[in-house]
Amino acid sequence: MTADEFIAVRQYTEAEKYAIFDRELMPHIQSMYNFAFRLTQDEDDANDLVQDTYLKAFRFINSFEKGTNAKAWLFRILKNSFINDYRRKSKEPSKVDYQEVETYYDSEEMAGTAQTTDLRAETVQELLGDEVTNALNALPVDFRTVLILCDVEGFTYEEMAKILDIPIGTVRSRLHRARMLLKEKLKGYASSMGYDTTEQEEEETA
Amino acid sequence: MTPESSPSAEAEKVVKKEHCEHHADCMKLIQMVLDGEATPDEIEHVRQNLGKCLPCENGYNVNKAIKEALQFRVEKRDVPQSLVDCIKSKITDLK
Repeated sequence: MTADEFIAVRQYTEAEKYAIFDRELMPHIQSMYNFAFRLTQDEDDANDLVQDTYLKAFRFINSFEKGTNAKAWLFRILKNSFINDYRRKSKEPSKVDYQEVETYYDSEEMAGTAQTTDLRAETVQELLGDEVTNALNALPVDFRTVLILCDVEGFTYEEMAKILDIPIGTVRSRLHRARMLLKEKLKGYASSMGYDTTEQEEEETA
Repeated sequence: MTPESSPSAEAEKVVKKEHCEHHADCMKLIQMVLDGEATPDEIEHVRQNLGKCLPCENGYNVNKAIKEALQFRVEKRDVPQSLVDCIKSKITDLK
C-alpha cells in the first residue's frame, strides 16, 4: 500500500471512527472473507488477511469519506495487502507465467479457435457449483481476481479499475482473457465428466 | 402467431452466418453487454447481430451461462465468528 492511498480526507472524532467502522465497514466482512479465501485458498491466510485489512482500515479511517463506497475501499486494501504480504510466499505462478498466459490468450489464433471449440450453454448449466468453483480456483490469480470482482461480487469496471489500480481498458481485456481461460477449464471438466462439450463432438460420437 | 408478429417471423427465417470474421471483437462487445457496461447503441448492435450470426449467438449464450454460474453457484463460505470477534476485540482494545 503506497502512502498516497491513505491520505486523510477527514478528521473524525474517536466516536465517529467506531461508528463508521461498525456501520460501514463491518457489514462487508462476509464478502471480504470470501474474497480473501479465494485469493489465498487457505483458511488461516484468509483469516490473517481479513484481520490485517480491517485493522489497517481502522488505522487509516480518516482517508475514507463517510457514506462513499466502503466495499470497494476495503477490497482495494485487501488486494494490496495480499500482493504485498501474502502473494510472495504463496505457490502462485510467477509474473512471467502470467504474462505468457496473457500473451497466448491475446493471440489471434486463440480468438479464431474460440468460435469452434465453444462450450454449449446447456453444458455450463449442468455443471455443479463445485466444478465451477474448482475451475475458477485453477486460474492464475490475476484472472481469478477479475472474475471474482466482476461476476461474484458485481463490481463495475470503474470500481474494478480503482480496486486493482489498472486502467478500465485493462480491466476489459483481462476479463475477456479470464473468461476464455475459464471456458477452457470448464470444457475440460465437462469432457471428463462425460458431458457433451460441442455440437461437433456430439455429432462425431453419435 | 398473430399477424402483427409476422415481420419477426420472417426475420427468423434469415439464414444465420456459420462463421464470424470478427468474432473476437464481437465477443468483447458481448462481454460488455452481459456485464451491464455497454451503451444503448452497443446493446442494440449486439441484439441485431445475434439474430444473424451463429458463433456470436453461441458465444453470448455460453458467456451468459458462465456469468450466471459464477454469480449464483460458486461456493460461498461463512466467515468464522471467531474472526469477527477477534477483529472487534482488537479494535475495542484501541479505545
